[in-house]
Amino acid sequence: MITLGSYLILSGIIFSIGLLGVMTSRSTLKILLSLELLLAASNLSFVAFSKFNGDYTGQLIVFFVILVAAAEVAIGLAIIVVMYRHLSTIQADELRTMKW
Amino acid sequence: MSHYFFYIIASILILASIAVVTARNPLYNVLSLVVAIFSLSCLFVLLEAFFVGMILLLVYAGAVLVFFLFVVMCLNLNVASLNVTQKDRFRWLEIAAGFLFLSSFALALKSCLQAQSMHPSSIRGTVEIIGQILFTDYLLPFELTSFLLLIAIFGIVSLAQGALSTGKDLKNT
Repeated sequence: MITLGSYLILSGIIFSIGLLGVMTSRSTLKILLSLELLLAASNLSFVAFSKFNGDYTGQLIVFFVILVAAAEVAIGLAIIVVMYRHLSTIQADELRTMKW
Repeated sequence: MSHYFFYIIASILILASIAVVTARNPLYNVLSLVVAIFSLSCLFVLLEAFFVGMILLLVYAGAVLVFFLFVVMCLNLNVASLNVTQKDRFRWLEIAAGFLFLSSFALALKSCLQAQSMHPSSIRGTVEIIGQILFTDYLLPFELTSFLLLIAIFGIVSLAQGALSTGKDLKNT
C-alpha cells in the first residue's frame, strides 16, 4: 500500500536534487534543466495531494504549471542563444553586466 | 501489485534526476530529463491522473525537451569548457545552506509520517472531468494563459530580432 507520505518523500528527494543542480552548476543550460526538475517535483506533490484529498484542483494547478513552465523554458532558451551569440559561452559567471 | 510499480518507477526517477545534475555532456543531461519526465508521467498514471500525465508527456517530453535538444545541438558547445571549476570562496555559505535545507526537509518528513493515515480517494482525472472543471470554474485563468503565451512569443521574437540586428561584434564594444 503506497501512502501519501511515500509520494511526498519522493517529491522531496527530487526537489533536493534539482535544488543541488541549481545551486552548484555554472552552465545556464544545466540551471534551466534543474529548474525543470524543481517544477516536476512540485507537480508530483500536487497530484498526490489531489488524489489523497479527493479534489481535482491539484491536477488543474499542475496543468497551469506545465503551461507556465513551457513559456519559461522558451524565454530561457532564447536568452541562452542570445548570450551564446554575444559572449560565445553559456557560463553563468560570464554574465556580469546588465546592459551592453 | 501496484506498489512494486511505484518502487521501480520511483528508483528510475531518482536515478534519472541524479543523472540530470551530474552528467558532464549536456546532451546526456537533456536525455536523462526525458527519462525522468517519462517516469513522472507513469507515476501520474498510477495516481489515476490520466489527463495531466498525458499532457506532461506531450508538452514536456514532446515539445520542451526537443527544444532543449535543438538548442544544445545548435550551440555546438565545448564540453570541456562547461566543467571548469573555479576556486570557491563561498564554500562555507553553501554548507550552511545545505544544513538549513536538510533541517527543513527533516521537518517535512516528520509531517509526512503523520500523513500516513490518509487513504487514496476514488477520483480519476480523466479528460472529461478535467475539461469540465477547466471550462467552468477555471475559465478565466485558462483564457489568461493565452495572454501569457502571447507575451512569451513577443519576448522571444524581440530577443531574436535584437540578436539579428546588432550582430556579433557587440562583444568588442
